[in-house]
Amino acid sequence: MSALADTFSNFIVRQTGARNARVIEFSKLSGGAIQDNFGLTLELEGGDRPGGQEFVVRQDAPSGVAESLSRSEEFRVLQAAFGAGVTAPEPLWLCEDAEVSGRIFYVMSRASGTASPRKLVKGDLTEDQRRHLVRRLGAELARLHTVRPPMDSLAFLELPTGSNPALSRVGLYRRYLEEIGEPHPVLEWALNWLEDHAPEPGPTVLCHCDFRTGNYMVDGDELTAVLDWEFAAWSDPCEDLGWLCCRSWRFGGDDREVGGVGDKADLLASYREVSGADIDPSAVSYWEVMALVRWAMIALQQARRHMSGEQRSLELALTGRMVAQMEYDLLNQIPELEEGQ
Amino acid sequence: MINEPDSRDLLTEARQVLLDSLVPDLAGEQKYQALMIANAMGMAIREIEQRAQGEPDATDRSLSQFLAGHQLPDDPSEGEQTLARALRDRRLDGDDPELRSVLKGMTEARLRINNPGFLK
Repeated sequence: MSALADTFSNFIVRQTGARNARVIEFSKLSGGAIQDNFGLTLELEGGDRPGGQEFVVRQDAPSGVAESLSRSEEFRVLQAAFGAGVTAPEPLWLCEDAEVSGRIFYVMSRASGTASPRKLVKGDLTEDQRRHLVRRLGAELARLHTVRPPMDSLAFLELPTGSNPALSRVGLYRRYLEEIGEPHPVLEWALNWLEDHAPEPGPTVLCHCDFRTGNYMVDGDELTAVLDWEFAAWSDPCEDLGWLCCRSWRFGGDDREVGGVGDKADLLASYREVSGADIDPSAVSYWEVMALVRWAMIALQQARRHMSGEQRSLELALTGRMVAQMEYDLLNQIPELEEGQ
Repeated sequence: MINEPDSRDLLTEARQVLLDSLVPDLAGEQKYQALMIANAMGMAIREIEQRAQGEPDATDRSLSQFLAGHQLPDDPSEGEQTLARALRDRRLDGDDPELRSVLKGMTEARLRINNPGFLK
């Protein structure tokens, strides 16, 4: 570990032009099966960032997921989001020379607070604090969604095929089910419903695609950083809004539609104030159904990684057994939406 | 062959020892792992119990009846595959209450094993 700390420290010394650096703290941070995250606190002498500095270094873990972005791509997405005013960790330096640490990595600023869903959902925030936080989430997404194609720095992100991102998702998930090879009638039924009820697409924008409670840091009632950008894609703004509101990400706070924290009306009002865009709540509800299907697909793929022997893991195995939860939510939520129409 | 105590009994007791004697002394990642093990054992116990009560047969029977009523092959070992394929091929009406009830029955049966607390 200390050799790795020195490697990163030396890299930062070169980037900042510091005379010297002292490692105050270095530790592996929790979370991330796809990447290793390290917290690194340095005392830098001279250079363009003198004094005590807290960084996070993010590098590929041995087991990567083919669907997600590489660290280099993620760094460029983070630059685009940060540049658009999203409260994300500041992307500082990318090291694409694998000789330096053995893998490609990048360094970003470290945010304060916690990302723990339980602490947030079960925590003792007042109603006003919850509303404030939900409004922040709406504002962050509105700023992110100002990033639109084409962008040279994000040329590696594929544009949705066809004219409707929802329908291209339906096609993609049908292919996934085909590949997984296990029959899932409820998911087939839900995909048919999604195909038949696709709303008019919104503009194509940069979506985070994993924007949910657990993936943003909160200090008190202030959002300090939106994390985990490896699934970013060009898509419909409602894909992010629907994922954030999906039942699977309420962590026991079921009656608080926005990530177990607060109300959708506050989220959409704040989104409108920042973006000027009036989002149809029924389109968000539609994308919540899509989110349940997508999470079921991810869970099925994770279970396959275990069952195929590619990565034997109790956690992945248990994730496979969660699919019935998403299916149950689909069987309840679709009729609820139909009744509301 | 009689081989007592049976697997349900062994798993139930082992899970209880894990939860009562070991988990209280664990913290962090180790506690998380122990609770995952208890969770997996709980699923296995409930699955054994459901089999003993013939529940999978009941679920398969209602699926078979549905398939037969819709002129689909009702081979019990292929029932879910047949239903999934018929839905993919758009040969069934997604609004059909009978279809939705069969889907719900299968899903609830799984949840009674995987996570009974999730059922509302």
